[in-house]
Amino acid sequence: MPLYDALYDGGVEHLLCRHEQAAALGAVGYARASGQVGVCMATSGPGATNLITGLADAMLDSIPVVAITGQVPMAAIGTDAFQEVDVLGMSLSCTKHSYLVERAEDLGAIIAEAFEVASSGRPGPVLIDVPKNVQVALVEPKPLGTSSVEPEPLDEVGIAAARALLAAAEKPILYVGGGVGMASAEAELRAFAAASQIPSVTTLKGIGTLEPDDELFLGMLGMHGTKAANLAVQQCDLLLVVGARFDDRVTGKLDAFAVNAKVIHLDKDAAEFGKVRHAQVGIASELKAVLPALTLGELQIDDWRQRCLALKAQHPWRYDHPGDNIFAPLMLKQLSEALDDGAMVSCDVGQHQMWVAQHMRFTSPRNHLSSSGLGTMGFGLPAAIGAKLARPGDESVLVSGDGSFMMNVQELGTLKRAQLPVKMVLLDNQRLGMVRQWQELFFDGRYSETILTDNPDFVALAAAFNIPGETITRKAEVAPAIQRMLAADTAYLLHVRISAEDNVWPLVPPGVANDQMMEDQA
Amino acid sequence: MNQHNLQIETQFRPEVLERVLRLTRHRGFRVDDMEMSTSVDCQKLNIRVTVSSERPIQLLSRQLEKLMDVTRVEAQLLEQRLKKTA
Repeated sequence: MPLYDALYDGGVEHLLCRHEQAAALGAVGYARASGQVGVCMATSGPGATNLITGLADAMLDSIPVVAITGQVPMAAIGTDAFQEVDVLGMSLSCTKHSYLVERAEDLGAIIAEAFEVASSGRPGPVLIDVPKNVQVALVEPKPLGTSSVEPEPLDEVGIAAARALLAAAEKPILYVGGGVGMASAEAELRAFAAASQIPSVTTLKGIGTLEPDDELFLGMLGMHGTKAANLAVQQCDLLLVVGARFDDRVTGKLDAFAVNAKVIHLDKDAAEFGKVRHAQVGIASELKAVLPALTLGELQIDDWRQRCLALKAQHPWRYDHPGDNIFAPLMLKQLSEALDDGAMVSCDVGQHQMWVAQHMRFTSPRNHLSSSGLGTMGFGLPAAIGAKLARPGDESVLVSGDGSFMMNVQELGTLKRAQLPVKMVLLDNQRLGMVRQWQELFFDGRYSETILTDNPDFVALAAAFNIPGETITRKAEVAPAIQRMLAADTAYLLHVRISAEDNVWPLVPPGVANDQMMEDQA
Repeated sequence: MNQHNLQIETQFRPEVLERVLRLTRHRGFRVDDMEMSTSVDCQKLNIRVTVSSERPIQLLSRQLEKLMDVTRVEAQLLEQRLKKTA
């Protein structure tokens, strides 16, 4: 309360969220859209425990967030005081670093260090737990020292080895992850890809990093990746991995993943080298510096380029869909075409998240906000709010599903409070769709607890927060409804009924290699 | 199963031992033995921990090096050390 009393005097822009988890996820959205540190605060006890999921989300996706929590007075810590919980202890597994401020005179330096830790190296969340006696103490503000970090010299031996591997490769693939965007090295990566003319793939978090219209860009790899990306990776003889970490959703069956490939691994975090897959060369440097040093010019791999282009041509997305029901992949393609390149799309977790990744076009990783590592249902609405706060001049669009939307639906209240024109597309199949899909394919159609025919009336729910909206059910309604939504100068809910039976394809089933993709049999 | 000794030097913080042990468990290493001492000025901790795991020791040591309070990590394969001293 003393902290909020200080906020009453103004000077710090603050947005009250209706649940602390959403405050943390909103800070993640702000950070992802802006490239700056996102900040959230919560009270002691349940406020702090509610933050934890958002911090874990930031941890898994390396997002710079500073979380400030209230704590009971130092003298009361350890006495099971009212709303006392060991926040520092809880933070250990879901933050990059955390502090309990024991002395008021340390607070300024700790806050400065927290921002530095959150945003430097491999970014991540940092928590500062502030006991009440520290909050109310009076201290003389001390000038903070400025620190400057000398750039580390490049690993010349590693770079020479990597250049030799690149020059010798006959079938190389550039495998791009979220680390490139986090390092603001998109321009250097695109320059490298253009100069090398190397076929490329991206992870979920890397979407938007590569030039989307480059003909050698094969799309996302992994469980719901494109067939071209997965087949090319399986056949390659060299993987140049940039800011990625061989996530299990990327590799499928690990010992069958790109078995003939040597690996060059570039990452800010040396702990990623060999964690999952052995790397012949690992270079822990700033990606902005190392990518130009690796550039050899155009690689002599014409046959391989032609094979990759052929794979891409053989496996295009298909948007033919019988009947009048709305086909979500096609609708998202239409939505993407209606948005300009600066629009930010936040999504939740499940089938719609994969359809966004597959069928929407992104020119920057800061425009595709998707909970990748933790897979946090309920991420989308608070992330879209945080993104809109970060970049008020750009359109902030939420694509959600009926399962995820309900997990932070209270944030409609935050939208109303801040009068933020966030546009919400709710793909409603009255199911926990991705789980339903797996139950259909791998659990004999035993639909345990995934049927949501008892969903609320979503348009009426939005209306309760003074947010206009509409429901559409037929293909012909899609284009005009998108136009109405984008023309609205307020928040808007476009509720889209889709079939419960539509699945996400292709799909690498659990425990098999990425070239064994299941496809739609229709 | 390999057994290693880790020498870990850290800044003193009340929670630093928890950080080290949590990370060790989470990354798949069993603590077989450990000892800890505080420097004379109480500013530093020295932790020696013997761990065993099927996983390469670098998976742990590199994660430990990332902890903000940790200033030095040194890993030694225990069998080799025993051979040397024998």
